[in-house]
Amino acid sequence: MSKDEVYHIVQEIIMEILPDVEKENIAIEKQLKDIGANSIDRMEIVTMSMRELNIKIPLMSFARVNNIEGLVDVLHENVNN
Amino acid sequence: MLHKNNIGITGMGIVSAIGNDIETFTHSLQQGIAGIQKTNKNAKPTLAVDIAAEIHDFSFTEQLKNLKNIPEEKVKKAKRLGQRAPFVIQTTILAALQAWAQADLFNNSINPERIGLVVAGQNSTQNYQYKLISEFNENPEYLSPRYALEFLETNQVGVLSELFEISGEGVVVGGASATGNVGVIKGHQLLELGNVDVCLVVGVPADLSPLDIQGFINIGAMGGKTYNEQPSLACRPFDKNHEGFVYGQASTSIVLETQKSSEERSVASFANVIGYGYNLDKNSSANPNLAGEEKAMQQAMQRASIRIAEINYINTHGSSSPLGDQTEAEAIYNVFTDHLANIHLNATKGLTGHCLYTAGMVEVIATVLQMKHGFLHPNMNLEQPIRSDLQFCGNTAKKYAIQTALSNSFGFGGINTSIALKNNN
Repeated sequence: MSKDEVYHIVQEIIMEILPDVEKENIAIEKQLKDIGANSIDRMEIVTMSMRELNIKIPLMSFARVNNIEGLVDVLHENVNN
Repeated sequence: MLHKNNIGITGMGIVSAIGNDIETFTHSLQQGIAGIQKTNKNAKPTLAVDIAAEIHDFSFTEQLKNLKNIPEEKVKKAKRLGQRAPFVIQTTILAALQAWAQADLFNNSINPERIGLVVAGQNSTQNYQYKLISEFNENPEYLSPRYALEFLETNQVGVLSELFEISGEGVVVGGASATGNVGVIKGHQLLELGNVDVCLVVGVPADLSPLDIQGFINIGAMGGKTYNEQPSLACRPFDKNHEGFVYGQASTSIVLETQKSSEERSVASFANVIGYGYNLDKNSSANPNLAGEEKAMQQAMQRASIRIAEINYINTHGSSSPLGDQTEAEAIYNVFTDHLANIHLNATKGLTGHCLYTAGMVEVIATVLQMKHGFLHPNMNLEQPIRSDLQFCGNTAKKYAIQTALSNSFGFGGINTSIALKNNN
């Protein structure tokens, strides 16, 4: 699965969790908190993305992530393993 | 400081099997439209009773869109808080928005610290948790982090206080099948104590898991023994062929407000909550208690400082349970012996099913609506009354002017409550 495909899935999940965020306001370089996600929304975006992509890795793997691209990168690295 | 006899109901909301707003619910009461049907046939496991008055075809976003008089920013916030929340929270948000709008609180200038929140509900995450179990057993890693908030009953307090910007006291109360009345009573007490001027009381629907339903079947409390294939006949309060309660779902909300506050805001109060009775009969089991029920009604009238002769309507607990109906009918007879000619009775559960934790609130709302519109709703399936000396409403609604009423609710664990209401029309 390409990084773009992973990003697309993450985008869909963000919109599900933050129903008032428009798609055009989500950009890969942005931080989730900048588009209105609180700490629980952010954790939920992570666990839902893991489920969608069938990834099981410790949540600590995301500790250094600081924007959407960082999240997509960690997911992408683990998606086909 | 106690403020006696001046606490009114300025807003109401409901999401139920017989109406997702007060207008539709009123129409169902007037027309005798009952909500009891067969439940989902594909549900696993198959249980011996599969009839209930469930909230049907529920869509949070659709219903949110259809609500009237809700400011745009509140709709947005409600969507954010509710869209991914468990079913019961979605329904309480909708019921609470209705009551808040009716009480004209979106345009209020009330200090948020003077507004309280009582959530009447217990075990509200049973089915939510039950549905998560099979996936959890496979993939515990994928459990939503939100679960840690959502399995707490007090999540309702958090969600509703954030939505309505309530910063007075907030609490969850439970009282088995009397939970709804307990909620209204506790809200009333917050106002009596002077701790708040307005109190939003919200009833959380019973979303029973198959385990809970089987438990009620096994303890012998649930109806549908001989009427499981005839759901419309299964709930028959005070009829000789009653055979147990039929489960119903409803989310409810009531805004209680001091007269001073509602007058200052020029908001109408539909009825006053003038008194309540609340006692325990010291019983850990399920059986009703005659003395406890009598005492609840007497306490309600005493606290309201009214005479027995002033009551002209009782909304009974009437759950269609043989021992429950018989005990309540006897308690009413004993308390009102010389005044029975003045009193008309009915049982809302024949239409709504037994909404368990919200039954008390459903019935306070039904009482206020009957007061407001001058009628008595029918008493479903009452063909052979268990007593001939009580005046039950028949199979169709009739015109009637309720002046002062009692609304009874009794619960497992020896919990007896009654609320006295006075018509403000």
